[in-house]
Amino acid sequence: MSILIQLIVDGLAMGLVYVLLASGFNLIIGISRILFIAYGEFYMLGAWIIWGLMIPLKVPFFFALVVATIAPAILGAIVYQVIFRYIQFKEQQFLTNIVAAMGLMMLMAQATLFIVGTESRGIPSVIRGMVNVGGIRISYEKVMLIGLTLGVIIGLHLLLQKTKIGRAMRAVSFNPDVAALQAVNANLVYLGTMAVGCALAGFAGGVMAPVFAISPKMGGVTLLIILVVMLGGVGSMPGAILSGLILGQILSFGQYFFESGVAQIIFFAAIAIILFFKPGGLFGQAQQISLQ
Amino acid sequence: MLEAIKLTKYFGGLAAVNELNLRVNQGEILGLIGPNGAGKTTFFNVVSGFFPPTNGRVLFEGKDISQLKAHDIAYRGISRTFQASTLFMKLSVLDNVFTGYHKSYRTRFLKRVLHTPSARKEEEGFRQKALETLEFMGMASLKEELAANLPHGYQRTLGIAMALATNPKLLLLDEPATGMNLTEKNAVIDLIRRIRDMGITIILVEHDMKVVMDLCDRIIVLNFGQKIAEGLPEEIKSNREVVEAYLGKEESKNAA
Amino acid sequence: MVKHNRYLFNRTSMRIHKFIYAIIVIIILALLPQVVRNPYYIHLLIMVGINAVLAMTFILMLRTGLMCLGIAAFWGIGAYASAMLSMKLGLPVWLSLPAAAVITAIIAAFIGVLLVKQGGFGFIIQTLAFGFIIVLIFGTFQVFGGHVGIVGISHPESIPIPFVGSMEFTSISKMPFYYLMLFLSLLMVLVLTAFYSSTAGRAWRAIGLSAHLAESLGINLFNYRLLAFIIASAIAGLMGSFFAHYYGTLVPGSFGPFKTINVHVYAILGGINFPILGPVIGSLIMTFVPEFLRITEGVEPIFTGILMILLVLCLPDGLLGLTHLWQRRSKPS
Repeated sequence: MSILIQLIVDGLAMGLVYVLLASGFNLIIGISRILFIAYGEFYMLGAWIIWGLMIPLKVPFFFALVVATIAPAILGAIVYQVIFRYIQFKEQQFLTNIVAAMGLMMLMAQATLFIVGTESRGIPSVIRGMVNVGGIRISYEKVMLIGLTLGVIIGLHLLLQKTKIGRAMRAVSFNPDVAALQAVNANLVYLGTMAVGCALAGFAGGVMAPVFAISPKMGGVTLLIILVVMLGGVGSMPGAILSGLILGQILSFGQYFFESGVAQIIFFAAIAIILFFKPGGLFGQAQQISLQ
Repeated sequence: MLEAIKLTKYFGGLAAVNELNLRVNQGEILGLIGPNGAGKTTFFNVVSGFFPPTNGRVLFEGKDISQLKAHDIAYRGISRTFQASTLFMKLSVLDNVFTGYHKSYRTRFLKRVLHTPSARKEEEGFRQKALETLEFMGMASLKEELAANLPHGYQRTLGIAMALATNPKLLLLDEPATGMNLTEKNAVIDLIRRIRDMGITIILVEHDMKVVMDLCDRIIVLNFGQKIAEGLPEEIKSNREVVEAYLGKEESKNAA
Repeated sequence: MVKHNRYLFNRTSMRIHKFIYAIIVIIILALLPQVVRNPYYIHLLIMVGINAVLAMTFILMLRTGLMCLGIAAFWGIGAYASAMLSMKLGLPVWLSLPAAAVITAIIAAFIGVLLVKQGGFGFIIQTLAFGFIIVLIFGTFQVFGGHVGIVGISHPESIPIPFVGSMEFTSISKMPFYYLMLFLSLLMVLVLTAFYSSTAGRAWRAIGLSAHLAESLGINLFNYRLLAFIIASAIAGLMGSFFAHYYGTLVPGSFGPFKTINVHVYAILGGINFPILGPVIGSLIMTFVPEFLRITEGVEPIFTGILMILLVLCLPDGLLGLTHLWQRRSKPS
């Protein structure tokens, strides 16, 4: 019984990370219509920044986490300004963006391999100790992970629902031309979206670093995220939450009972079946940011 | 020939076409008019198979075509033009029209790939026909010109030529005279009459009232996706509701 | 070759000129390995050939609106199929080569029916996922050799050539493989050209220019796209089976998205408006330029990534797209 709860908690921790990633990815594709294949690289970047700051430089974790969130955001903004801005308003925007994103992915993936080598690393515990919840022991770090991610997810939804910026983002995702009539600068929104999306990715990478391993191949998570997003319905925030959590549980239980490769295959199979019956995903294919 | 029964099309919460009942008789030129957003182009899109209707049915020659897709509807004999200049921009005028004959090939697919003499002969035949269609439209001299280089008026008529190439029984013309000067408009009017004389039924969506009054045997007026008037041109001209529908727009334009 | 000439032969003189150029190019290609003796360069040329054909299949699909990010997977399916047919079932290689292509075509037909219907967006993601899954499958199950792969795949049996002797396929000389690759590539080019100049090719071109308009003229988008998908995958599979018997070893990782992205680059470097010539140019440049610049294996993906971004920003029509600039100047307006 306690193993069951343990697995569920592990699945929750993993799932929330995926929820973060799926949300950020949803933002970028829902608002800017960029299928950002390089997204996983920013996640990896966040994790490695944590490692790079904490191990050689002995920077405290929370400070490193802030950097791990802001640095990818800045990089994302730069990448948008230098590359995607020029594609965004041309014809064939969608396909061309994909090619640029693939190029960026290759670039970042290989550069990372170059810089950090091929081995996975870990960081020493940030908070030691375990908490005892109803007979099971959960590490403080996992609790911190869960708490922080929940906080950020709620913060993101508040941003989208309540703030002027969030409204502007939703307007642009619905119809950029109409939004322009309301004096919303589409390009600025795209820039901000990329920054926020990459910040989320970096944060996810940073926050999971104490709990899971940091590998130079982490960028490969992008495909999984794309599938999570498709499962939940492209552009649907609630969908991202639900399917991220589902993935977390499947991985958690799958890894316990089978080897890791098989767990992924199970997830793929599950997605294939669900999408076959409901092609728009669980919450329908809005292709724009929807909060329902 | 064509009949729409309680045709409804919703986009999200908005009914672009709302319980529309409409009939087109064979050989006539039916005019479809109404203010912008009245649902005329949506009606075309549903009839030509680009959108499935939310409710209601469309019958063509007695058969239900509501759920057919666009290419199947082309095979049934309905063709359309588009509002924007939708052409194969990078192809020549002749190639554009030639593509319209694509569905008429009779040789087996395998023979066409192997370029057998019979396949090549049929292809040559369609090239001839494309040329004849261009001559019918008075555009034969432009046959080598790139579609993208054509002046706007000729681009519209090229669209009509392509639709003709599919050998339609019913032709849906979406604002064929838009952006044309007087000479061009008269040429288009003449052209549409000649098309009707070939035995093709026509539904005409158009904003230019002169064109509509000149050409149409019957007129149906739409507003907010519903039919608000139907009848002969003279009747429609003096119909108060119709005038209001249009004038209402004028009023708000003046007020703004 | 005489039988095929009739397909290219046409009344206009431009066709005759093209035909003569083609013959000259073929002769040059045939004599190339006599001039270039270094076996490493011959290996590179063989890979150029394979990659060029793969890029041609990628363009075939792309022009109909299908960006297939799983092309390397079909290349892999053909390779593994042929390897298994010849090793586990003992089929002679000359039989397993076409058989693998047929198997790939059948798999492509089933997958295609599901995927092509999705429309652009879903198709892209699902072919990407398909590419990943295939590599995962090849790497996980022992039947396919697991992550070690398949080793020691048999070379093709020797072909008797009248009056000259026989052409042996051994590990010693790369030349016979080069000629086999040349033959297969030219054959595929012929098949592609036949399709492109037929009504199917015109339909594909129409779909690529304006799918909406093509549909309204009666062109069945799904059928033609599926056709392009199956043909492209089958050709990729055939090249894969050649690769298996040439290289002798198959490692699952080499059939993944990295390879697909490379093929994509070959295609857009040449220019997607040149479905045959573009891939050849792109493949040539991408294979030899890193050689001469001495770009090591580690740096190559960085080079490729930067190139992709630059291409998409500065040269969207590829290198051959630049010829339009000089053509436009010489045409009287």
